[in-house]
Amino acid sequence: MDRRTFLKIAGMGSVAITAGCTSEADKTLFSLVHAPDDMVTGKAAWYATTCRECPAGCGIIAKNREGRVIKVEGNPLHPINCGKLCMRGQSALQRIYHPDRIKTPLLKAKETWQPISFSKALALLKDKAAGAATKGSNRVRMLTEIEGESLLKLFAQSLKKWRSSGPLVFEPFAYESLKSANEKVFGLNGLVSYNLQDADMLVSFGADFLETWLSPVEYAQKFKDMHALKNGGGNLFFHISPYQSLTAANADQWMPCAPGAETAIVFALINEVLQLGRGQHMPESFRSLLVRTVSKHTRIDITRYSGISAEHFQMLLSRLIESPMPLILGTGAGSSGGNDLQTNVAVNLLNLILDPKLTLFDFVNRHRVEIAAKRSEAIDFFKELKEEPLGMLLLNNTNPAFSLPPGSGVKDALKAKSLFVVSFTNVMDETAQFADLVFPVALPLEKWGEYEGKPGIGGTLQPAMGRLTNAPDIGDVFLKTASEDASRTDTFKTYLFKHLIQKGGIRDQKDRLQLFRQGGTYNPSPSGRWYGTVSHSVADVFNKIKASLDSELVFIAAPSIRFFDGRGAYLPWLCEIPDPMTKVAWHTPVLVHPKTMVKNGLSQGDVIQIRSQWGQLEAPVYESQGVRSNVLLMSMGQGHIAHGRYAQGMGLNPNELLSPEIKNPLNGPEFIVHPVFIQKTGRTIKLAHTDGSRIQHGRKIALSVSLDELKHAKPHEKHGLTMNDFPLTLPLPEGYDSKQDFYPPHDHKDYRWSMVVDLDKCIGCSACAAACYAENNLGVVGIERMIEGREMSWIRVERYHDPEHIENITFLPMMCQHCDNAPCESVCPVYAPHHSKEGLNNQIYNRCIGTRFCSQNCPYKVRRFNWFDWQWPDPMNLQLNPNVTVRSKGVMEKCSFCVQRIKEVHGLAKNKKRMIKDGEVVPACVQTCPTGALFFGNLMDKKSRVRQLVQDPRAYQVMGYLNTKPAVIYLKKVVQKI
Amino acid sequence: MNDLTFAKIDQTVLDTLQPPDRSYWVTVGILFIGVLTGAACWIYQILTGIGVAGMNNPVAWGTYLINFVFWVGIAHSGTLISAILHLLRAGWRNPIARAAETMTVFAVCIAGLFPFIHLGRVWLVFYMLPVPNQRNLWQNFQSPLMFDVVAISTYLTVSSLFWFTGMLPDLAVIRDRATGLRKKIFTVISLGWTGAHEQWRHYARGYLFFAALATPLVISVHSVVSWDFALGVVPGWHTTIFAPYFVAGAIHSGLAMVLTLMIPLRKIFHYEKIITTGVLENVAKTIIFTGLIVGFAYATEFFMAWYSQNPLEMAIFKYRPTGDYAVGFWIMVVCNTIIPLLLFFKHIRTSILWLFGISILINIGMWYERFVIIISSVSRDFIPHAWGLYSPTIIEFGIMLGAFCLFFFFFLLFVKHLPSVSMTEMKEILEQGEDHVG
Repeated sequence: MDRRTFLKIAGMGSVAITAGCTSEADKTLFSLVHAPDDMVTGKAAWYATTCRECPAGCGIIAKNREGRVIKVEGNPLHPINCGKLCMRGQSALQRIYHPDRIKTPLLKAKETWQPISFSKALALLKDKAAGAATKGSNRVRMLTEIEGESLLKLFAQSLKKWRSSGPLVFEPFAYESLKSANEKVFGLNGLVSYNLQDADMLVSFGADFLETWLSPVEYAQKFKDMHALKNGGGNLFFHISPYQSLTAANADQWMPCAPGAETAIVFALINEVLQLGRGQHMPESFRSLLVRTVSKHTRIDITRYSGISAEHFQMLLSRLIESPMPLILGTGAGSSGGNDLQTNVAVNLLNLILDPKLTLFDFVNRHRVEIAAKRSEAIDFFKELKEEPLGMLLLNNTNPAFSLPPGSGVKDALKAKSLFVVSFTNVMDETAQFADLVFPVALPLEKWGEYEGKPGIGGTLQPAMGRLTNAPDIGDVFLKTASEDASRTDTFKTYLFKHLIQKGGIRDQKDRLQLFRQGGTYNPSPSGRWYGTVSHSVADVFNKIKASLDSELVFIAAPSIRFFDGRGAYLPWLCEIPDPMTKVAWHTPVLVHPKTMVKNGLSQGDVIQIRSQWGQLEAPVYESQGVRSNVLLMSMGQGHIAHGRYAQGMGLNPNELLSPEIKNPLNGPEFIVHPVFIQKTGRTIKLAHTDGSRIQHGRKIALSVSLDELKHAKPHEKHGLTMNDFPLTLPLPEGYDSKQDFYPPHDHKDYRWSMVVDLDKCIGCSACAAACYAENNLGVVGIERMIEGREMSWIRVERYHDPEHIENITFLPMMCQHCDNAPCESVCPVYAPHHSKEGLNNQIYNRCIGTRFCSQNCPYKVRRFNWFDWQWPDPMNLQLNPNVTVRSKGVMEKCSFCVQRIKEVHGLAKNKKRMIKDGEVVPACVQTCPTGALFFGNLMDKKSRVRQLVQDPRAYQVMGYLNTKPAVIYLKKVVQKI
Repeated sequence: MNDLTFAKIDQTVLDTLQPPDRSYWVTVGILFIGVLTGAACWIYQILTGIGVAGMNNPVAWGTYLINFVFWVGIAHSGTLISAILHLLRAGWRNPIARAAETMTVFAVCIAGLFPFIHLGRVWLVFYMLPVPNQRNLWQNFQSPLMFDVVAISTYLTVSSLFWFTGMLPDLAVIRDRATGLRKKIFTVISLGWTGAHEQWRHYARGYLFFAALATPLVISVHSVVSWDFALGVVPGWHTTIFAPYFVAGAIHSGLAMVLTLMIPLRKIFHYEKIITTGVLENVAKTIIFTGLIVGFAYATEFFMAWYSQNPLEMAIFKYRPTGDYAVGFWIMVVCNTIIPLLLFFKHIRTSILWLFGISILINIGMWYERFVIIISSVSRDFIPHAWGLYSPTIIEFGIMLGAFCLFFFFFLLFVKHLPSVSMTEMKEILEQGEDHVG
């Protein structure tokens, strides 16, 4: 071969090879080929709608990028949640993209599911309903989750056409005892709301208002308005319950009591305050009745059998008497051992005695969940169905087969051959498994609707994106099937508009546009007072007080902040984010007190069999001092036998141990069962928990300061070099001092981004973590990887117990500290962690080769490594934020302070030729934090909020003495010596 | 050694190069399968992700870096023996210098593999090379890992050259007696050595200068490796004692490895007259010395932790002997500092069996030393909430097996194809006596 030929061949060969190699570029970067005129690629459209993850009805705005919803955030205009959202709300969009979402109707044919078309399903539905209607009255029955008024009206109209009575609104948490107590005392069968923010002392007998109770985001905000340090602080919150919920962990004092003893404690309090001459405003006859009832509950008695200590009782009483504006809240779902109603009645009376005007009660703005049927009605519904399984049953997005204890007969009723069961659901859940037709319908983020969380707060729903499936709106399904005139072209949308016009909310199209733009009408009525009189009928409930459960082993099922009643269990983010109290993800452990563990020879991770009269479960043990020694606690929501890949077979369902019996006068479920027996199985599992240690080991990480100390504190007078006296060193030139710094300060240009975390406001709810998962395309690693310690959360809420008072818990959100002297930056051989001109510690994924030295050297351990390529099963990839790179295996990642949001605002500011204003950049975590514990801004701007906050005498830096000069400044939690 | 003659030395050494029997090839074959196993594990890891190993957050460094430090440590004694002892004119090192140097070269190669295996994206490793490129990538020379790149590659270069230079006269001896293809190969690699006086003069000076050049490297390489840790902020790593401590540890482990290799070599190749018990005894004495240094370093770390009264330092040094990795810690202490003390007894340090056993135990102990340092510190560093434990996976064991197999594979090939004892240097002792070499 001559030189010329060689060159020819080499040249052609290399061209051929180069041409043959293509990167696997995604060919559909944009979802729309021909975009609508008003759509600018790269610019998000926001649609205001309403969150339907729980009955609270928070307003949300959904961010639509190129036709896909990629993030939901709280609607700042909405008076319930004021722009904030909990982790369930954040996760709502995963329902749309869930890989196990049912795409077409499924008809059961000989134990298998046969996909049919929507039109066929509609026709079938229509036939069956009409057929059932001709055979007799009340042959079409319906169970629905709580819905807006318009839809419920449509359901009722349709059912009427089918000669049947209206739908039964089923919610697993229907607050029966609270409703009945309000009826007994105030004559109002509903759920009043509470002006928590105006109280100066709060006592809760189990109401977990920071997690699931009535309207958690709203109450979390109001609670911090009342409780966080302001104008000298000093407002107290006591929580009395058999177990320490997240709400209890945020109390100034959690007072453990025996399950069921709450009533007696409230009685004793009433007894004491009556003796002190309070309650004179009550009618004398009633007062004497009350005195008679409560007189047997003396303080000595109480401390003997209620489990509450004498000190705690005295503390509670003296503070209550001193307080000018106290508010006492009743029970949560899983608190009182059968005395729920009595406790709530007693709590109402105590409120009435302490504040005759009930200033903090709002009788007008009541919670919508009050329209939910009582559990007894749901049980009766299925009982009737079982007795007469004829016609048709419609189930709208409800899962009674999971939520009701197995003995309730739901499955038996559904199994009946003569009953045609239709389940409107998007996922094959336990109930849908027994259905004859599974009919997927549009999800709340895809449809028109309205939902009034409270009267006057009429939230609206609108589609935030086009459809991924052809599933119709359930409203349209009903309009089409129940209508006699087949040619009728009415859609639910027009039906809804008519409804809104009828209601008087809107007059014309302009109004309508305005209404949907802002997500509803927000005209909350002024607080409504109560002018009634107490009825004597309260006395009879007191005859039925059960003894408290002091000694036998009691099992309690608690509502979960993550899964609510279980509807969230198939959303991977909710599974992946650990429970705020146990820090266990994916698993459902049973919380056992150390004493019980010692008595039974258990250690953490041992699988025990728990047996009750009604069923049994095999659960891993989690050692917890947050339960009374005779209490076993398990949170609800997991343990699905169906419900998609993330829920199926994961965790446990405590409902299986609970009693299906509903007792009068409560008419509600008891989330508590006794006696239970436990037995070792000999098996042990590793729990998927994310915490390495529960205490701080004296390391000054999550700090607190007492109110007294704070009054005398002088700002930042420390000048030493040790852990105890190292000064606050801001990540600015002024934070550098030749005594401790060898290198000169960074030269930042205009901005030095910084975050302030107020630990006094952080309630540990982990909404920030969920927001971060959504915003930053974080990988969901699953249970095995979680056990191995490979979770990818960029922000985690660290939970530290005080080793001396184990019930005292401090929550500390931990994310990349964006240090000025970042230990990660100096050790990377290829400059992948890079200090930006604006002080950000940028991680450059393309440059990273995966030495992991940065992670080793990070004192905060906030760096996350991509051990594998994480999976987004189709179509979950559509939910990814296009502004954020999806990281591949072998790359380190971490919190970026949402650099994509900073960049976006930079663009805006540049267009307008101005500097970025304070508060303009809002990272996802800051945006969603329900209590406003996080602040973000520019430290170089002397007037910025963060700059002002760092002057606070509470300001400190975690591990500041390492001289890393973190840009995340924490404000100490304020504790009160009680 | 008195009954040795030049011819006898040549004969003994050249005998080792006779065509091997079947058992040799079987052993080589088995080792090769081990190597393939390791390679397969690595390929699987590259395709799947580093997650197939047991590392996690917070313990992001695992057995790969343990093995890296371990093999760098092994690599130390070779140069120590051949260079430093050469400069110190310790004639007893001559019989074992060649094998020890070879061990060094191979150990550095193995060590050099581990950072590659460790990397999350090994295919981009060239980002660490300071070559001009259109991406404007540049290296952070502040990073201890960049120090490593420089130090290890320098050490590999110098030790290979030193090894080769020392072997030149011996290669010529083989060339002179070889026939056929073998002769051709050895003609090329002996670089025209004729044994002329001028050549010997240059050779001797060159070797001496090389020794002088290699000596600081012995100290520097493991000091640099220690800075991977000491320059980090992690409690238990961030300490100034690390450089001398690591160097002493490296020599300790290297000497042990020399014994582990020499004792079977001596037995199989009938080197008893060349590698005498006296030589092994001298190695053993050095091990006592290094063992005491290492023990002193352990004690110093604990003292400093207490003396600093830094709660984090105290916590980690309390954790090591009592915590989750306490077994590793006590293996380390017993094997590295207590067991070598047995060598104070003459009958132990002259007993081949005892020496062999002790050398193996020291190797194990030194592996655990790196385990304790690397794993325990980060598994419990600053933030208690982030604490976590690490345990290696089967993939990591596979790669570790592959690494050991590769080392012995190379070494076995070496002993049958190149002179494993320096004939030249043996003759020097014979001529000039042990104390007058150089």
